[in-house]
Amino acid sequence: MRGPNAIDFWRGFALITIFINHIPGNTFERWTYSQYGISDAAELFVFLAGWSIGLATRDRDGRPEPALTSVVRLLSRTVEVYRAQVIIMVLALAMIAGTALLLDNPLILEWHNAGGFFADPIQSLCGLVLLTYQLGFFNILPLYVVLIAVAPVFVLLSRISRAGALALSFCIYATSLVFEWDFPSWPGDGDWFFNPFCWQLLLVLGFTLQNWSRDEPRFRAWCRRLLLPGVAIVIVGVVLSVFELRPDPLMVPEPRLIFTFDKTYLSPARLIHFCGVLLAFQLVYDWIAPKAGWLTGFLAGLGRNSLAVFSMGSLISLAAQFVRFQYGGGIVVDISVVGFGLFALGFTAWFVEWRSRRPKKAADAPAAS
Amino acid sequence: MAFPPAKEGGRRTCSLVGAAALGLCLTVSAVSALAEGVATVVSPPHPPASAPGSAPKEGVDLSLSPECRVPGSKLYTLARLSSVKHALKEQRPVHVLSVGSSSSGLGASTSYPVRLENALERSLPNVDVQIESRALSGEVASGAGERLRTIVAEVEPDLVVWQVGTNDALARVDATAFADALKDTVEWIKSHHIDVVLIDPLFTQSVADDESYNELVHKVQDVAVAQGVPLVRRYEAMRFLSASSDKGSETHMLGRHFRLNDLGLRCMAEHVTRAITLSLLQPDLAATPTAGSQAKKAEPEKPAGP
Repeated sequence: MRGPNAIDFWRGFALITIFINHIPGNTFERWTYSQYGISDAAELFVFLAGWSIGLATRDRDGRPEPALTSVVRLLSRTVEVYRAQVIIMVLALAMIAGTALLLDNPLILEWHNAGGFFADPIQSLCGLVLLTYQLGFFNILPLYVVLIAVAPVFVLLSRISRAGALALSFCIYATSLVFEWDFPSWPGDGDWFFNPFCWQLLLVLGFTLQNWSRDEPRFRAWCRRLLLPGVAIVIVGVVLSVFELRPDPLMVPEPRLIFTFDKTYLSPARLIHFCGVLLAFQLVYDWIAPKAGWLTGFLAGLGRNSLAVFSMGSLISLAAQFVRFQYGGGIVVDISVVGFGLFALGFTAWFVEWRSRRPKKAADAPAAS
Repeated sequence: MAFPPAKEGGRRTCSLVGAAALGLCLTVSAVSALAEGVATVVSPPHPPASAPGSAPKEGVDLSLSPECRVPGSKLYTLARLSSVKHALKEQRPVHVLSVGSSSSGLGASTSYPVRLENALERSLPNVDVQIESRALSGEVASGAGERLRTIVAEVEPDLVVWQVGTNDALARVDATAFADALKDTVEWIKSHHIDVVLIDPLFTQSVADDESYNELVHKVQDVAVAQGVPLVRRYEAMRFLSASSDKGSETHMLGRHFRLNDLGLRCMAEHVTRAITLSLLQPDLAATPTAGSQAKKAEPEKPAGP
């Protein structure tokens, strides 16, 4: 188990933000940083995934591991994430159906696009395993599956030319912005909520920046110099969000997605804002870590086990929505569900690490049986 | 709150079916704007005589199929649809964007969007109705309104048919925040000379006495009236149908049958079609005062382009 570090810390922070934002209408929603900027925790999560791939595909001395090892490593991760998505989708649908039975309320079946599943299970089940059928709020992992599945291409390409990998990624991004390419949803019309053609740029960016920050001393110096512009971008983001200022998607010139603040296509404004956030907050971890050890320990613990914590978080936030539906909103209910959720996320992280430690102990003491 | 235009619509429908002659119906009730165009408004193909033992009381809308029949006053409030009218006048296809929760988007041929398209094309012969449907999960008060703007910009429809509020009601979103967000989004759509028809949340027996759920249903009505957009009162219609039908019989749309089944979707498509066609028949001047004046101001700018 690795000790707390900035990547795990911020990933844990993103996980908690996503958890709270996935309980719509709750009191704490307005306290998350997503309400004070153009980009939100989803960007942070995907960027850090890219950064982690940069870390994972090299050995401790920073040398790239063999190409085939990287490919198999990423393939294995893809399978893990895919498995997690299928499992949480099935569990979520069962939770929805169970709650509808328990409360004798068929409206619950309409929860976040689930009605489609119950109305047409034959097509929807196929869509579920193809990842083209996604419940509302259960749409990040399908993106993640696609991104990690294509990551080997960028990882290997960047060993030949980092600029080349970044350029390829940017071209795919720009083309899909202009031509409005997205993965289709099925069954049902529409497209994926997180467009992999666009969001892959963030993953590749995270991966490339990790490489640069390791190899180029000047890179970190430049990041420090750009801290103030980053802060300026963050302030602009706060003003735009608080006063709800944003471009009217029917008034901007074509191609429109370049000018709007669209999440599905990770529009340039969101990307620029996110880069500003990175620059503005680059030193915060070093500042906060010595002062609040318990907080860094907790968040980094979540971040280390991000897939399990994210999966549990998705299910707990769905359960929290049912609780809010049954007992109404309000500060007491919200404190209870969010408080329980945070405890459960912490427990999940601890439990996963405990489980992964256990077999070793068993191996140490084979005579026990 | 009274909805005089709705009652008027109901009565007109009765005369329409009684006459059983479409041409006559048109001369009776169609406004000159429609008469100029080729658009004709007809009722769904269910003759009133076939209605088994349902003596119409209180202006039950006989143009609907028997199992979907609801009094006009419970079914909709009407308002002008100037952009759709404009499209009809220009004799071009009418682009409709259907958005809402899950049941709006499935690919099967029996799905609600397909039914709505068929029902609209039956009621508006010689008009090509093209429906794009999008599932819009999430809450209007937290982001879905914003996403809808992006979808509208992508599709650029003449009319948005929006099933709104069920998600917000289930998430116990604050009613005022919901109403504000809904009003902003409807205003925005109208400001681009695109018509809106709202469909209020679903009804089921378990929410009949649920105060916060009902408050949200009322907020949808308030916004529809204030903004002068037609409203399909799905909540009331479903309540009427579930009360009037026998317990346990197939006509239950939700209840024991546990989902918005085929019948429910067909009725919704019919109800929406009815609200749209009757709204199209709204005389330009006799619409609700706010709606009339606002829409009238907006119309001359329309030819200038989107």
